[in-house]
Amino acid sequence: MRSNNNSRRLRTAAVALLLGACGGTAAAQLPIEAGGVEQLPAHPGAHWVWVNDFSFFALPDGKAFLVDGDAGRMLGLLSTGYSFAALVIPHDAAVIYSPETYFSRGTRGIRTDVVTLYDPVHLAPLGEIRIPPKRASIMAMIAGAVLTDDDRFLLIYNYTPAQSVTVVDTRTRKFAGEIETAGCALVYPTGPRSFFSICGDGSLLQVALTDQGGARSRTRTRELFDGLKDPLTEKPVRIGDTWLFASFEGTMYPLKSTPAGIELQPTWPLFSAAELAQHWRTGGLQHLALQRSSGRLFAIVHRGGTQTHKDPGADVWVWDLASHRKVQQISARNKVASIQVTQDDKPLLFGCSFESNRLDVYDAGSGKYLRSVEGLGQTPGLLVTP
Amino acid sequence: MHNPVDELMERWARGMARRLSRRHFLRNLGGLMFGAAALPLLPVARGAPAPAGGAADPGDPQSCEYWRHCAIDGFLCGCCGGSAHSCPPGTEASAVTWVGTCHNPGDGHDYIVSYNDCCGKTECGRCLCNRNEDDKPLYMPFKSNDYNWCVASKAGIAYHCSTARIVGVAK
Amino acid sequence: MRPPLGAVLLAAAGAAQASPALTPPAQAHYMLNCMGCHLSDGSGAPGRVPSLRHSLLPLALQAAGRRYLVQMPGASQSALSDEELAAVLNWMVRNLSAQAVPRGLVPFSAAEVARYRATPLVEVRATRIRLLAGEAPTGPR
Repeated sequence: MRSNNNSRRLRTAAVALLLGACGGTAAAQLPIEAGGVEQLPAHPGAHWVWVNDFSFFALPDGKAFLVDGDAGRMLGLLSTGYSFAALVIPHDAAVIYSPETYFSRGTRGIRTDVVTLYDPVHLAPLGEIRIPPKRASIMAMIAGAVLTDDDRFLLIYNYTPAQSVTVVDTRTRKFAGEIETAGCALVYPTGPRSFFSICGDGSLLQVALTDQGGARSRTRTRELFDGLKDPLTEKPVRIGDTWLFASFEGTMYPLKSTPAGIELQPTWPLFSAAELAQHWRTGGLQHLALQRSSGRLFAIVHRGGTQTHKDPGADVWVWDLASHRKVQQISARNKVASIQVTQDDKPLLFGCSFESNRLDVYDAGSGKYLRSVEGLGQTPGLLVTP
Repeated sequence: MHNPVDELMERWARGMARRLSRRHFLRNLGGLMFGAAALPLLPVARGAPAPAGGAADPGDPQSCEYWRHCAIDGFLCGCCGGSAHSCPPGTEASAVTWVGTCHNPGDGHDYIVSYNDCCGKTECGRCLCNRNEDDKPLYMPFKSNDYNWCVASKAGIAYHCSTARIVGVAK
Repeated sequence: MRPPLGAVLLAAAGAAQASPALTPPAQAHYMLNCMGCHLSDGSGAPGRVPSLRHSLLPLALQAAGRRYLVQMPGASQSALSDEELAAVLNWMVRNLSAQAVPRGLVPFSAAEVARYRATPLVEVRATRIRLLAGEAPTGPR
């Protein structure tokens, strides 16, 4: 007895023959395709996310995947060189900046560091700005490269092991200078012409910039935290004029910009005494995310000792920033090391882990798992929404 | 970066790595001192790496749980043609690095371990270990394993693998 | 119960042979806090980490230079106490200097270290250049 499949095939073939014999009608034939290259809309979607792959097993091959969180589809990719961290995107998303490192022979030869400018519609390079070949080669951190609040200057943390910050003027598209930040690391913008770095003694280095991108002043604050007892992680979130840092043991340190400088606001704990006794802590590469309009703080959590502060977690908890109370516990479908949340009124929560190459998508309000997107590079790290 | 450590390994690793801050345990040093240029009485391999093992240096140097790897972050050079204290052929040992201490259960001593990276080729990709005993953030570079410590190597920052070389005896 | 004497003697002999020589505390502190960048002989990495071998002594022989040696962030921001940092600096001057150390060199004390350490140094590179060029440093103490 013939299978249904075979019958169907035979019938289809018969119809095709008949039609062909009759000269064929347009409805039965696929059109010839002209080919072409896709391009993106002028403005990014509210549920798009860049998955930045630091490619730990192939450091010369950093890359960033653009994903549509609603459709669960990859939209495109940027190839971004050695020891890649993340794309840097200004508020108007009219261009994409990418601090990149290249060797003339892949892993050896002459090192060149550049900031590549990419066209966000065509995902192709527009040009590049040469910078000193000193860009810190570190675990991917947002604070490795940031824009001042008015998007005028791009600030890049250098480590040779001397510590400094490269300043790039995005208006002239030129290297504007290098500011020594000895004893201090990373860059956190606090205004159109100011930023701070975190120093090894638990103080901050506050830097004010001139309109040319030079250092107008550099001052150190008093010690704000004890780096030996309970250091701040380097991966804060920001709401308005306040940076929110989580310490290793889950204490939140709000650092507020005031005319007098950075001021530490009262700290508050993420975890109750009972939770601390059970060794709950935050963990991951990008362990905090902030949904600004609803004032909800998301954190990846797990149970473990101090040495697990970079470990992925299977849970994402949510705190209300106004009351400091935990309001939700989301059980992640897969362990995550990085989370990010969109800033629209129906926000999505994204999560990924460097232990897999999948992006998970959740409803940020209900915590409901929606979908996953597979095959996103080698060690997806930082999540950046355009 | 992370090689998941199950609960058993976690307990074992915690017992192995010294938890006291360096300020405390180094104050308790006693014993004989042979002068400022004292060197540890340990075999130093030249050429072919000396095989590990034996009571005084227990464990498998090709595993993350080897006592010297208490704060290592990267690929083990022992799996890549080198050893715990030597680089694979054609790579360059980075002189600049970070230095920590690990407890050796074989002889009960705390050793000062220098985690020199081997540089100049793409990542070895084998035997990835990430243990963060007493690891500190990037603003405390002397205790951070999140820097690519090939940074000052003449071969450039291309990171290949990590060693764990004994350079002293703390306790 | 006390072990037999022979066993005690054997154990002692075995321990003396098997036990490695402890690194002296100041050297161990140097290894853990400074050697990573400045290397075991203080020579550093050309163009990236300054060599200490020819600069330690000249700096230690002048007040402004001594202040710099303590205020250099790698030293002042290390995990060492004032007493430990003083001991490390003294060890460094004696063991890493290419020049002979004059007899009259005043060792660093914990009190001196604490005094300098109270003020963080922001202009590190410029201060070092000025000091080694022989000029008096400017800027906040």
